[in-house]
Amino acid sequence: MLMKAPMMLFLQTDPIYGYLPIVVLLFLAALFPALVLGIGRLLRPMKPEAPKLSPYECGVDPILDARERFSVRYYIIAMLFLIFDVETVFLFPWAVIYDKLALFGLIEMAIFLGLLIVGYYYAWRKGALEWT
Amino acid sequence: MESLGINYRAIGPELVLTVTGVLVMLLEAFSPGKKVRDGILAAAGIVLAGVAALALWEEGPVTAFSRMVIVDGFRVFFTLVILLGTLLTIFVSWGFLDEERIPPGEYFALLLFGAVGMTLLVAGNDLMILFLALETITIATYVLAGYRREDLRSTESALKYFLLGAFSSAFLLYGIALLYGATRTTNLAEMARVVSGPLGQAEIVLLMAGAAMLLIGFGFKVTTVPFHVWTPDVYEGAPTPVTAFLSTAPKAAGFAAFLRVFSLTFPPLGIESAADQLASHWVAAVTAMSILSMTFGNFIAIAQTNIKRMLAYSSIAHAGYVLIGVLARDWAAVAFYMLVYTIMNLGCFAIVALWARRGDERVLIAEYAGLGFRQPLLSFPLAIFLVSLAGFPGTAGFVAKFWLFKSAWGAGFPELVIIGVLMTVVSVYYYLYVVIVMFFREPKEEVPRVPLSRAFVAAMVVALVGVFYLGLLPTRVFAVLNTAQNLLAIGQR
Repeated sequence: MLMKAPMMLFLQTDPIYGYLPIVVLLFLAALFPALVLGIGRLLRPMKPEAPKLSPYECGVDPILDARERFSVRYYIIAMLFLIFDVETVFLFPWAVIYDKLALFGLIEMAIFLGLLIVGYYYAWRKGALEWT
Repeated sequence: MESLGINYRAIGPELVLTVTGVLVMLLEAFSPGKKVRDGILAAAGIVLAGVAALALWEEGPVTAFSRMVIVDGFRVFFTLVILLGTLLTIFVSWGFLDEERIPPGEYFALLLFGAVGMTLLVAGNDLMILFLALETITIATYVLAGYRREDLRSTESALKYFLLGAFSSAFLLYGIALLYGATRTTNLAEMARVVSGPLGQAEIVLLMAGAAMLLIGFGFKVTTVPFHVWTPDVYEGAPTPVTAFLSTAPKAAGFAAFLRVFSLTFPPLGIESAADQLASHWVAAVTAMSILSMTFGNFIAIAQTNIKRMLAYSSIAHAGYVLIGVLARDWAAVAFYMLVYTIMNLGCFAIVALWARRGDERVLIAEYAGLGFRQPLLSFPLAIFLVSLAGFPGTAGFVAKFWLFKSAWGAGFPELVIIGVLMTVVSVYYYLYVVIVMFFREPKEEVPRVPLSRAFVAAMVVALVGVFYLGLLPTRVFAVLNTAQNLLAIGQR
């Protein structure tokens, strides 16, 4: 008890020590996988054989390296998908408090969607969706 | 929605620029390749944004959008400098867009989006807005730097710019996070209030670390030694009109943010406070950065054979001079310097871009031989801009340096002023070397004259008038800036 009291006081005076749990979590997060993998390594039986060591034990044998050049179109499609993704992320909270934001919220959302649609339309016109 | 402080007038310039940018982009998608239409629309948008900014001049220091955006003379003046830089860049790019067969709509739209970021950076009163604005600028300028896709140098320049830009943004963001940890706010006004009192030991450490990170981030953005290494490569590889843009408008915006954060938020108060503890450190660090930038920039510029690289090192040196103004905490002097620097540097690059021709082929200083009397409409303005960059009396460069050094002397930085003056003398060598090559060296082979476009002539007229008006009759601009400075000082009290 005697040891504890000054420690607690210390924690209260300097709010920076409020971040202490995050440091503790950091250590725990590093410790946990190390522990689990380490114990597993010690306990499990080890009988390596050729098919077991291949990347996909059950499935098609890999024929090429994964580090290949991909067509840039994949990335464009991914970015276009982002437009709709971001849109949804913002539409949900807006829909939840739609009645509180009223007309103002509706107009703001229309502007936001308008800007996204402009970007999408631009990409469309520029042929980002044509796969040839 | 009054509680959010929504005030569309306060972001008038940004709104106008955004709408114009989107319009230009859409027009490009509808009917591509109409340079005159897109260019005039973009220029009109910039002029309109300037009017919107001027309308804010009388507003005095007020904030909007939950105190995230500030309206004061500081912001309005820097906004006008940025808009002028962007407008001149459009003129400078006019011939280049035809030569390189670049889709003009996207180019203008990117310039406008970059300008939106810059004006927002100047208007930001919150570290989050500053970061957002910086990202808006850099994303637009990364693309511009790599605009000549088939050219290896341009691609290299864009990649280097992107990697180092992202790296420095990470520093900035981490710095912002640490400052938030120390002061529990990202709002600059609130932060200034918190640091004007004492802080706990742990907070002081966080504050120091955060401010150091910010210093590194800003150091990258405004190209000061030792964070300058990317500058010559990026400036050399980027298409010349883009280099002209990169070296002026974003730099003015970067210095505005630098001033807003360091000179106005963490000033040395002379009383027992966190700000004072911090100030003793950042002043020492910025002093070192300033001295290093001035000496390295000027001495390395002497050794350059490529005029774009030479101007890149010269821009590093000028960043060193401007840092003296940041230390003196005289934002009006810095604003005036950035205005003058924008005008004379864009003037220089306009001629360099024209002379370089398609694909930036003719960029060596030796290739300027014989330009002097063969095409005086190119050589005389270039000589004037170079002489102004060197700071000869009668030109704007002199007045800007004079004001900067004078206020630094008054603020107690005589050693920096002495180094600055000495380095200015060094810089005369490499600026005048170009003039000598132009007028007194004979070319190896006869070179054809370069045709001048109307947009180029317009840019020349604006820049020349600017250099001489600000060089000979600067009192009006001085008066305007001093009034704004007094208003801001009263507003802060």
